[in-house]
Amino acid sequence: MFHLLNRPRADAQALADAIVALKDRVQLCSRCFAITEDDPCDICCDPQRDAALLCVVAEPKDIYALERTAAYNGRYHVLGGVIAPMDGIGPAQLRVRELIERIALDDPREVVVATNPNAEGEATALYLSRLIAPSGVRVTRLAYGLPIGGDLDYADEGTLAKALEGRRVLA
Amino acid sequence: MLLERVRLSNFRNYASLDVEPAPGLNIFIGSNAQGKSNLLEAIAMLATGKSFRAHREAELVRSGALVAEVGGDARIAAGRLRLRCSIDRSAGSTRKTFDVNGAAVGFARFLGRARVVTFVPADLALVAGSPALRRTFVNAALAQASPAYYRDLALYAKIIGHKAALLRGAVAPDRDLLLAYNDELLAPGRSLMGARSAFIAEIAAASATIYERWHAAHERVRVTYAPNTGKTDLAEALAANVDNELRRRQTLVGPHRDDLRFELEGRPLAAYGSQGQQRTAVLALKVAEYEVMRARAGDAPILLLDDVLSELDAQRAAGFLAALDAFEQAFLTATELPAGLAPSIAGFVVRDGRLSRLAC
Repeated sequence: MFHLLNRPRADAQALADAIVALKDRVQLCSRCFAITEDDPCDICCDPQRDAALLCVVAEPKDIYALERTAAYNGRYHVLGGVIAPMDGIGPAQLRVRELIERIALDDPREVVVATNPNAEGEATALYLSRLIAPSGVRVTRLAYGLPIGGDLDYADEGTLAKALEGRRVLA
Repeated sequence: MLLERVRLSNFRNYASLDVEPAPGLNIFIGSNAQGKSNLLEAIAMLATGKSFRAHREAELVRSGALVAEVGGDARIAAGRLRLRCSIDRSAGSTRKTFDVNGAAVGFARFLGRARVVTFVPADLALVAGSPALRRTFVNAALAQASPAYYRDLALYAKIIGHKAALLRGAVAPDRDLLLAYNDELLAPGRSLMGARSAFIAEIAAASATIYERWHAAHERVRVTYAPNTGKTDLAEALAANVDNELRRRQTLVGPHRDDLRFELEGRPLAAYGSQGQQRTAVLALKVAEYEVMRARAGDAPILLLDDVLSELDAQRAAGFLAALDAFEQAFLTATELPAGLAPSIAGFVVRDGRLSRLAC
């Protein structure tokens, strides 16, 4: 605040305008429910993106995490949270119906469920796979594992146990 | 393991305390409300990170103070261990922090560094009380012994919480969601059941020898694991009860409803055993827990006995005290010095939050 008081009025006005613009211009994409200025969002409009690959995330910020990997070239669907009846959140409070309708319409090859690896994220993934299964679409889940460049010695037992369960054949 | 030093600051009625317990039996003697049990509670916190009796952990902080601390130096098979647990109530709610050998750690990594077997008067209700008491006994022992068990237990409880909320109607009824929870419960549920079954089998074997040692073969009680699902596989039992659970609107199946069964000559001990037989069974169970933990960890746990002698008749108390010789280190509270103790014990008189060494 003291910094702003020392700046010209124009700077304060610019900041105020930017905040108002954020509220006015930023909206949810009507297809994937990501945060965007244009509807549909850049990812949904990008013809280079694989339209047959759909990644389900809990929150819009998860998209940015996955985009930073540059390893995913499909589209997204934002649920708006995870299922947690103890907090009053069921499928009806999330964009589950929209997801099922979109799958029926787009008929993707694969749905990747990228919810967090905790009790709620796992339940949400299991629930979605039950709903999607009848459509015959392949449903996958992100693998659990060790951080790259990490040290076995520092991994917590839970992660290490999961990494052991999900081990790959080398030879 | 051997606890060589215990330090308290602002813990319950102790402003500050620095005591060096002896190997073998340590006895704290004093009238009621002088702080005997508080000492055992503090020692137990070094192993479990939790109080065995406080409902609100803010109670652990001495009145007028904001932060309580319990510290302990121990010798274990692997070397030396320095533990510290602090309870801070300055922020309105209570916050606990832990450290091991000077490094801050989370609760899950603190739990089980030191191991204790506690025996408090409330444990005498284990046989006749509710199944929840018996599950707590098994869970507390296994959580100390294995971080994986603690993790599975916490995960399982979370899933059951959501499943119960769904059945109760916290969100719209949804059969697919119920089935998803049943799928999710399988892995941690099976792990818990496997660990319980193995542990209770070991307890049963150990307690048979203990009855021999106490020359109480005529009172011999058999303890067995009674899983809620009986002999049925967990997945099958869950599937078979989906409609039932939906109708009753509560969870009916799974290890959160497991039990321990105590039998005297094939009959339920709670219904057919005398008070004395039930108490002996609990004592045998606790000593068996001690033996199993020692065998599993390759290091003896510390035995904490809070005011148990007053609950036993003279003959049982004498037999029990004689058996205490076999322990690497035990702490016992009593209102007066019990008769017939070996002269090697370390006695302390507890008075108003202060300790003095008893000359004996």
